[in-house]
Amino acid sequence: MVLVLGKGGVGKTTVAAGLAALDAETVGMSTLVEMGDGIAGRRALAGARKGVEHLVLQPDECLQRGATPIFGSAVLAKLALGNFAMKPLLRAAPAIRELAMLDAVRRAATERPGVRLVVDMPATGHSVAWLRIPKQGRALLGEGPLFDMCEQLSRELLAPGRVSLVVVTLPEPLVLEETLELCAQLTAETGLPVDRILVNRVPSAEDPAALVDARALAEKPGPLAEHAKTLASVLAARQAAAAAAADALAPLSREGRALWRLPLCPVDPSARDVARWLRAEGAP
Amino acid sequence: MTAQRVHTRRAGDPLVVVCAGGGGVGKTTTSAALALGLARQGRSTLIVTIDPARRLASAMGVALSDAVTTVPFAGTNGRLAALMPDPRRSMHAFVDQLFEGEPAARERLRDNRVYQGLADAAAGVHELVALNLVAAAASTGSFEVVVIDTAPSRQAIDFVTLPGRLAALLGGKTVAWLSGLATRSGEKDSTQARSGGLLAWGKGHLEHLIARAAGPYLVRDTAGLFIELALVRERFVHLTERASALLLGDRAAYVLVAAPTAAARDDVIFLAKRLEKLGRAPRALLMNRADTRPAPYVTALRSSANLSPALSDALDVLDEERKARGDSAAAMTRDLSRQLPSCPLIRLPFVEAYAAADVVHALSLELEAHHRALLPQ
Repeated sequence: MVLVLGKGGVGKTTVAAGLAALDAETVGMSTLVEMGDGIAGRRALAGARKGVEHLVLQPDECLQRGATPIFGSAVLAKLALGNFAMKPLLRAAPAIRELAMLDAVRRAATERPGVRLVVDMPATGHSVAWLRIPKQGRALLGEGPLFDMCEQLSRELLAPGRVSLVVVTLPEPLVLEETLELCAQLTAETGLPVDRILVNRVPSAEDPAALVDARALAEKPGPLAEHAKTLASVLAARQAAAAAAADALAPLSREGRALWRLPLCPVDPSARDVARWLRAEGAP
Repeated sequence: MTAQRVHTRRAGDPLVVVCAGGGGVGKTTTSAALALGLARQGRSTLIVTIDPARRLASAMGVALSDAVTTVPFAGTNGRLAALMPDPRRSMHAFVDQLFEGEPAARERLRDNRVYQGLADAAAGVHELVALNLVAAAASTGSFEVVVIDTAPSRQAIDFVTLPGRLAALLGGKTVAWLSGLATRSGEKDSTQARSGGLLAWGKGHLEHLIARAAGPYLVRDTAGLFIELALVRERFVHLTERASALLLGDRAAYVLVAAPTAAARDDVIFLAKRLEKLGRAPRALLMNRADTRPAPYVTALRSSANLSPALSDALDVLDEERKARGDSAAAMTRDLSRQLPSCPLIRLPFVEAYAAADVVHALSLELEAHHRALLPQ
C-alpha cells in the first residue's frame, strides 16, 4: 500500500492517480483510494481507467461501517451515531471520522490481497494528525473496542513493511523545508519512514543563450529594445526559478532521499502523463 | 444561537473581503495584492492570512505573530498592515484569553487529553482564534478594509458559522448528557434506567454501549472538556460575537479565487454553493493565470525578422504555454459562467516573475481596475 501525502495544491491527487495508472500498466491492476466525493480522482484518472479500481471512501459510510461491529448491529450503530448528543459531538470531534476512514482503508487492503492500494491522503497538517490517531487513541482510550481498532490499525496498516509513504512537494525552498519537517515528524510520530519524495512541477532549465540574446537585443537602440528588456526579465525570472529549484533539491540529495522529479506543465497533466514521467524517472 | 444572528453594525467597522478558493490557485498572493493596491490608494488595510505561507510572510517582511505588523511596501505610507498568526500557538493563546481569571479550570483543561489532541488536530480552531485577533484589530477603528485569506480548503468558509455552532453545542443538551454519561459509565449495568420502562431501558442500553465503545477515559475527558468550556460559555459567545458580526454583516463580501485547472473550478463551484447556504452570494470570481491574449512584447518580438534561434525558441515556448493556459481558462470561463451565472468573473494574467514580492506588486496593479467590483457594496 502506498500513502500519498503533501500539502494542499501540490498535485497529490494527480500523482496518486499516476502511481495507480503505472501499477495497472505494470502488473495489470491497482486501486486508487480517494476520500471525499471522488470527483478529483475520477477526473485525474480520465483515460487511464484500465485496470484501475477507483475506491471512494465517504466519512459517514465509513463511520457507519466501522461502528457496526462495535455496537453489534447496523441498526444499533445507526441509533448510536444518530443520538441527539452524539451527532454534534461527532461533528466537533474530528478524530472519530478519521479513525473510521483509516479503518476503512485497512479493510479495503485486507479485502484485496495482492493488489497495491494507492491512497490519496488529505493535505499535510491533516494527514499527520490522521496517522497519529491510532497511537494517540491507544494512549487516550486505555481499553474498549475503539482501543482495539487503534491497535489493529497500528499493527496491520501503519506498520513498516506494510505501507510505503510518498510525499509530494514542490521545488521551492520553503515548501521543501516544510516537507523535510514533515518527513522527520512522520518518522518520529508514526515510526514510518518516508520512502520517496516526489518533486512536482520542476521547471525546465531553458537554453541560457536566449537570455544572453535578449539582453543583447535590449541594449540595441530601436523599437524592440523595450520589448527585449521585458523578455529578458521574464527569462531571468524563469532561470532564477529553475536555479532555485535545483538548489532547493540539494539538501534532499545530501540526506540521501530517493527522489522522483516531474516537470512543470502549464495545464493539468493526466494520470497517463504522470505514469509516463514516473517511468522515465525509473519507477516502479 | 439568537445572539449570533444579530449582526449589529458598529461605527468604525471596516469593510471585510473574504477570499476563498482551493489550494495552489494563488489565493494568498492575490489577497495580498488586493490589500496592497487598496493601501496604495490611501485606504488603511489589514491583510489577514489564516493559513500563513511563510514565503509570502518573509517576502513581505512580516513575522508570523499574533500581533498586527506594518508591512513596509513602497507607496503604502504605512497604511498596509498584516496579521499572520502562527497556527501552532494560537489555541493556547485563545484558551488563556477564555480562562482569564480562572487558573484552576485552565490547568484542568490543559491536562485534559482530549483537549491536548484537539489543540494540534482540530480544524477550525485556528480560524476561530485568528478571527478573534481580527475582531480585536478591527475594534481599534484603525482599518478601513480587512482582507481575509482563508485556508485552502473547501471547508474554509465554514468557520464563519463555527462560533455559533460551538456556542450552541456548549449550551445544549450534549454537555448535560455527556456529564451524565461520564458519571454513569463506571456502573456495570444501567439498572436505574431499566425501571423506567422499555424506552428508558433502550436509552440506557445505548448509552452503555456508547460508553463501552469509547472506553472509560474518552468519555470522562470529553465530558470534562465540555464542562470546563461550558463554564466560560458566556465569555466565549462574547468573544466570538464580534467576529461573527464582521463576517456575516452587510459590510462583508466574499471573493472566490480560482486558476484554470479543473480542481480549482470544482472547488469554487463547491464554495459558491456553500456560500449560498449561508445566504451570501460571491461578490466576484478571480481567475489567476488566465491571460486572454499574447503579451505585447511577445507579439512585437515575433514579428521581427532577425531573431536568434534561441530567442525564437524561447518565444515559442512562452507562447505555447500561454496558449495552453488560455485554452484551459476559456473552457473554465464557459463552465463557470454557466454554473455561477450571477457571479462576475475577472481574469487576471499569469505573472512571469520569481520573487514573491514582485508577483504581489504586479498583481496589485492588475487588480486596481477591479477594486470597486471586489469590495462590499
